[in-house]
Amino acid sequence: MPLCAAAALPHTPQLLVRPETEDRDMVLRVHAGYALVKRGLEAARPDVICILGGDHIEGFFLTSVPALAVYVGSTVSGKFDRYRYTFDVHEPLARAILEHGVKQGFDLAYSQDLALDYAFYVPLHFAMPEPRVPIVPLYVNAYLPPQPTPARCYAWGQALRAILDARPERVALLASGGLSHFPGSDRYGTPDYEWDRQMLDRLVAGRGGETAALTGEELDKAGNVEFRTWIALLGAVGDARAKVICYEPSWHHGNAIVTWPV
Amino acid sequence: MGLHYTFPPAAGYPLNHCLYRLKSDDAFRERYLQDPETTLRDAGLDAERIAALRALDRDRLIALGAHAYLVFMAGMRLKMAAAPQTFERF
Repeated sequence: MPLCAAAALPHTPQLLVRPETEDRDMVLRVHAGYALVKRGLEAARPDVICILGGDHIEGFFLTSVPALAVYVGSTVSGKFDRYRYTFDVHEPLARAILEHGVKQGFDLAYSQDLALDYAFYVPLHFAMPEPRVPIVPLYVNAYLPPQPTPARCYAWGQALRAILDARPERVALLASGGLSHFPGSDRYGTPDYEWDRQMLDRLVAGRGGETAALTGEELDKAGNVEFRTWIALLGAVGDARAKVICYEPSWHHGNAIVTWPV
Repeated sequence: MGLHYTFPPAAGYPLNHCLYRLKSDDAFRERYLQDPETTLRDAGLDAERIAALRALDRDRLIALGAHAYLVFMAGMRLKMAAAPQTFERF
């Protein structure tokens, strides 16, 4: 079945647990953006949400670092601060993605037991439709070099789309991450918001396919290592024209929420 | 200019493991807050690394092989543990 919804959302932890350094009104504006996506998902009535996320060295520490992975368990849990969360996983779809992905030449890793990072949780905390639906966590390595290339992420998104189109479930595809931010580096207070704005313009113009030609170095320099999840989503939605729900740069993070017609 | 997120050298593994546990292991973080010196020494860090970590000296930690993101989130989780009432939760 074709996708029933596609969106990219931030997972900035300060949107969930706000320190005094964050502008409260800005945080609430991003929450309003999440709420719009949530309403859109409720209207789209997905059977399952596939969510592309960049693990923050939480589920996968240096014991094992897959470039691309699928979580194939019956449930998945995690914690952040006082939050404890568990989601049902759509195991048949997760397994189909894994098996067909490998058949198509993507050497995917998989796990049946790992801690779900806040990169997945924060968007779901705010935008999970009611009633809740099961998820499939799809991992794209963002922070531990060598990461998959943008071209590979795009190709994986294309393959993922073909797999999902052949399935009976109504699937909403989400990408979690971005835009520009530099956690832990000397650029933390100076993200590249100009890069973000130019990229959003390209996506609104329906030029998402161009992202496959980006380089990993360019993403790192722009504070957009997590943009790989967006690129994978773009592989799935092609050159559909994006709609920017909000772009709210904080003093350290370009919070963007974008949807695509599918 | 170099990249911001670089390959973590194997020599930095014990340090990165401590940062990871401060970030994600509530019991380890609690032990650290009670007795940082002993907790880090028992985890295999030497005096130089213990001093850099206790000071959360980012540049020094990164020079010692720490991953930038782990430094960031270990520091944030320590702040959240030290003053939980200063955060608004949604």
